Amino acid sequence: MEIRLIADGEEHLCNDFRNRIYGENHTLRQWHWEFAENTYDKKPIPYAVIEDGGNIVGTQAFIPIRMIDRDGVYWTAKSEATLLAPEYRGKHLFEKMYDLLFRYAEERRFACIWGFTAAVKALAPLGFIFPSKTEQIFTPFSTRAVVSMMGKDGHGAKENSTAKIKIGLARAAAGIAQTVSAVKMTHSRKNTLDGLKIQTMPRADEQAGDLCRRFIDHYGGTTVYRDAQYLQWRLFDNPYARSIVKGAYRDGELQGWAAYTIADDGMGYLVDLMAVGDDNHGIGDIVRTLLIEAVIGTRNMGASGIRGWRVNDHPFDKLVGKVAKTIGFYHIKRGFSFVLYNCPESKARPAHIDGQDWYISRIFTEGVLG
Amino acid sequence: MLPPEAQYLRSQIVRHISLFFDDATAAAFENGLARFVRQNEISSLDEKIVAIPYDIPVPRVPESPYTVKFNGTHLTLWNRVATPDNDSWQSIPDEATPLWYRNRAGTLIPAWNLFGNLFHLLTFGEETESPRKDRHGRFIAAFSPRSDSDLLEVPAFNEAVAALVGAIVGLRQSDEPCFALDGMPKAPAVVLSHDCDILMGNDIWTQSVRAVRVALPLLRFRLPRVDNIWWIARNTLTPRRFYFDNATGMIDIERCFGFSSTFYMLNGDRGRFGARSTQAAVRDLVKRIPPGWDVGMHYNYNTFLDDRRFDAQKAQLDEIVGASVTVGRAHYLRFDPAKSLPFLSRHGITVDESSGYADRIGYRNGIAGCFRAFDPAARKTLDIWEVPITIMDAVLVDQYGDRCIDRFSRLLRHLSRVGGALSVVFHPGQFFNPEYRHMLGIYHRLLMASRDAEAVSITATQMAAKQKGSAG
Repeated sequence: MEIRLIADGEEHLCNDFRNRIYGENHTLRQWHWEFAENTYDKKPIPYAVIEDGGNIVGTQAFIPIRMIDRDGVYWTAKSEATLLAPEYRGKHLFEKMYDLLFRYAEERRFACIWGFTAAVKALAPLGFIFPSKTEQIFTPFSTRAVVSMMGKDGHGAKENSTAKIKIGLARAAAGIAQTVSAVKMTHSRKNTLDGLKIQTMPRADEQAGDLCRRFIDHYGGTTVYRDAQYLQWRLFDNPYARSIVKGAYRDGELQGWAAYTIADDGMGYLVDLMAVGDDNHGIGDIVRTLLIEAVIGTRNMGASGIRGWRVNDHPFDKLVGKVAKTIGFYHIKRGFSFVLYNCPESKARPAHIDGQDWYISRIFTEGVLG
Repeated sequence: MLPPEAQYLRSQIVRHISLFFDDATAAAFENGLARFVRQNEISSLDEKIVAIPYDIPVPRVPESPYTVKFNGTHLTLWNRVATPDNDSWQSIPDEATPLWYRNRAGTLIPAWNLFGNLFHLLTFGEETESPRKDRHGRFIAAFSPRSDSDLLEVPAFNEAVAALVGAIVGLRQSDEPCFALDGMPKAPAVVLSHDCDILMGNDIWTQSVRAVRVALPLLRFRLPRVDNIWWIARNTLTPRRFYFDNATGMIDIERCFGFSSTFYMLNGDRGRFGARSTQAAVRDLVKRIPPGWDVGMHYNYNTFLDDRRFDAQKAQLDEIVGASVTVGRAHYLRFDPAKSLPFLSRHGITVDESSGYADRIGYRNGIAGCFRAFDPAARKTLDIWEVPITIMDAVLVDQYGDRCIDRFSRLLRHLSRVGGALSVVFHPGQFFNPEYRHMLGIYHRLLMASRDAEAVSITATQMAAKQKGSAG
């Protein structure tokens, strides 16, 4: 048994292994996009494998992501593809894969490793901390939304009687919630911002990086550095589900954007929301306008509802949550733990990395749901 | 000198190979490795080539269909030709289900009436030979002689070309025709389009139909279908919901998959079978169609072979679009096999998507892709390309029910083995409309299935442009 970084030509083995473990059918192209053709153009890629007798029996990947705080832009990585064949569990193999990748991260001066998981117990001994949990903002367009929210695929899966009753009750509640949301939304649409030009971005706007810097200058904290290169890869070239990105412009200057998509379960996702204020309009108005765009956009795509993340007390996160409530979103306290591991490099950063002040949207998932 | 019919089919095959395989194989086909011959020339052939007889008559009803394993799928062949009267010919792969006959010199001839079958299908042979029409004057799938043998979903042209490619590759490498085309067919394509019959749900005809649906059961002493009252009210208050809004939603959802499509606009005379949208609504939608998507003309019901009405509708749409619209599809798929394509070509249409069935899914011309039209009476090629539609939204669901997505995926999977493009029409009003609950989510799932099959998206105009630009 060997634990090492992936070798050339093993990509399809790793993709097959992931498909086998998850019972999915992801394509090799999707695998390449996620792990090998992201914005980090260095080789070898940070993808650890356990090989036993010519078979891949475990994987652990880091997806390098640049973050920004008031001291500048720096590299971090998202933990992903943590998989082990059932018969190899309980042998401390996870730790060994992480050790290998932690060394990789240190050598390349990554500041931290982060991710989202329900399995916090396994990560605590490795030095991960758990700054917060993801929560949901959600608005239903149809009672089908509850099926997706309850984790069902909604495409004819058989349910037992108890589950059917639960779903029935949830659907009834969703029907009421949907009506309330629709009324709030109708009212809000009358108050949308005049003068701000909303346009669908056909490709990532070159102004994105600058907006991201202005955002951090204004709000502080830390977030993913969303320059045009990152947005192009993450949102526009995503082979799972690309996002519709609506930009808010004033006199040609980018003021913010909302990215949304529809996932395989029929649910709409608010993937990202960024905005900075200008002299004439409050930032809350821009956020409201962009949120309404996302709601109408996903609804017209046939989504059963739209959900996004609400994570912590970052001022912009709080603002989004507050505005979302006024246009018919509900706050649901259900999600995964945000996990964070500080590499030695982070100790050299002027801004202390504790994860409390991160602005986190679904763009951080780097994954299949947009 | 080859007769025009053989020249025509050779050209279609070469262009198809360029589009769905590669130019080198297309050139090899064109430059001598494949030859169209008379039946009586077969006995004298002594070269390592593929020889395709072009003078074998085609029976009206397909005879003795059989299948041959090929490149991880099955080819379905019919109208088998007898082994040439000479015992030097060997059946490949076997006597019972041959794909090729080969003589000692290595000459291959197809074991089925390749030329006859394909030419007959591309030139609407089976419908010009039949007087049957439905109440809209259409030749529907039920009238096709292939329907009884369950051959409508066989892309006969694509399968024949794949077999030819295998033969050419085989002859270039050895004496054996290939039955495995490893990596040769390009990714299957999906040709998406939307007939914008209704853009506002509050038009008088749509609302009247709903009202009739409320009352009609009463005449049969059944409970009225009161749900229609809800849809009448809903579209009175929000006319764009589930129609116009769906059209913009379809653009967005296609964008999410990296796909694009053609929107066929029904404008002109209003009526039960005519346009139900105002000119303003059409204009508004055209404005929202982004670069990369195409706008086409949905020929109004009453423009069928009517010069004056057709020109009037086209002139109106040209003005709305701000350019000459050159792609279109007939409302209700009204299509005359002999007259429609020359008519459309005369009126400035260069790409048409009308050849398809409204009662079954299937390959009306036996092709998943596109072809240039041929006028058999004048024996000449026309300057118009046909992209036959294979799948119509509600028809797929009515025909296959819960298995509709599986069926779609199987068609795509088959095309991934033989090369081709699957044309799909999905009406905005069927995309996401609770009035048609059984259709909810279907388009999304079709797009997901296309993504999972690693299909690429191409519009009819883009595909025709590629074929025009290729050799042949």
